[in-house]
Amino acid sequence: MPGPFEYTIWLVGALLEASVVVCSLLRGPFRRYFTLNLYMSTSVLVSAGRYLVFTRHGLASSEYTYFYYYSDAILTICLYFALMGLYAIVFEELGAAMRLRVFMMLLLIGTTLFSYAVVHQSESRMVTHYIVEISQNLYFVGLILTYVLWGALLKLRESRVRVIQIVLSLGVYFSINAANYALHNAYPSLRFVWAFLPPAAGMFLPIAWIYAFMKFDDEARLAPARLAAVPR
Amino acid sequence: MSRISSAIVLAMLVLTGAMGLKTVVTTHGGSSVLVANGTAPVPPTPWKNGTAPVPPTPWKNGTAPVPPTPWNGTAPVPPTPW
Repeated sequence: MPGPFEYTIWLVGALLEASVVVCSLLRGPFRRYFTLNLYMSTSVLVSAGRYLVFTRHGLASSEYTYFYYYSDAILTICLYFALMGLYAIVFEELGAAMRLRVFMMLLLIGTTLFSYAVVHQSESRMVTHYIVEISQNLYFVGLILTYVLWGALLKLRESRVRVIQIVLSLGVYFSINAANYALHNAYPSLRFVWAFLPPAAGMFLPIAWIYAFMKFDDEARLAPARLAAVPR
Repeated sequence: MSRISSAIVLAMLVLTGAMGLKTVVTTHGGSSVLVANGTAPVPPTPWKNGTAPVPPTPWKNGTAPVPPTPWNGTAPVPPTPW
């Protein structure tokens, strides 16, 4: 059973996620970053739903277990759409919106088909296996896509601070969770580490996005580095 | 057409990379599940602690008689040559 610390982390995390949406509404970029706000709004709703199921049925109940993993898959799909929105923002000036949509949808379909191919021989709880597998695979696809986007930002010499901040924080978030997953698999005895990192990452992401929305304007640009004067 | 083809190739590349990364990450792994959304406490994986009964493995509890393995005749087994 979670103690006061876990409850506090859970509450603060949900409040931070709600704050992202509020800050986005206050500062104006709600529509521009709609998919990011959709992810955060869904995350708040899912947290509330998880709390309701948790208090009624308990941590080890099958109700909470299924609600948790099914809602986790929904959140991962929302995160994928958030990434799709970021791609659209970064590539908006290249006029590649149509190609981008085709690419992202093909990737989504490919991931679902691949996940089905992995689990289709499961005899018991195939749907649950399938949902969890999609969530896992989509997560790793998101990780790769974030790094590809970061490479594109560098290549395109993107200077919009808010976009850079959001993409970098997403990269950190994905990386922490992937590293934590590897750690969990390699060293199952280090429970104090791998049980602590996901909530920490879950709080880091909304804080970074609040910072990006509140601190920077949409047109704020990185100042180019000063040229060094080399004496001849 | 070439644009769609390039999108397909890119999608396949990313999918391959992601699944390769997942394989690397889970090399030492058991059956743990990556959960990354939200700060809620994580329940046990559903196929470990569900409520449904676990079916018997098909090769242990069938009704048909178990055939003899082909390399076991009725003759006594000699000792291994080494």
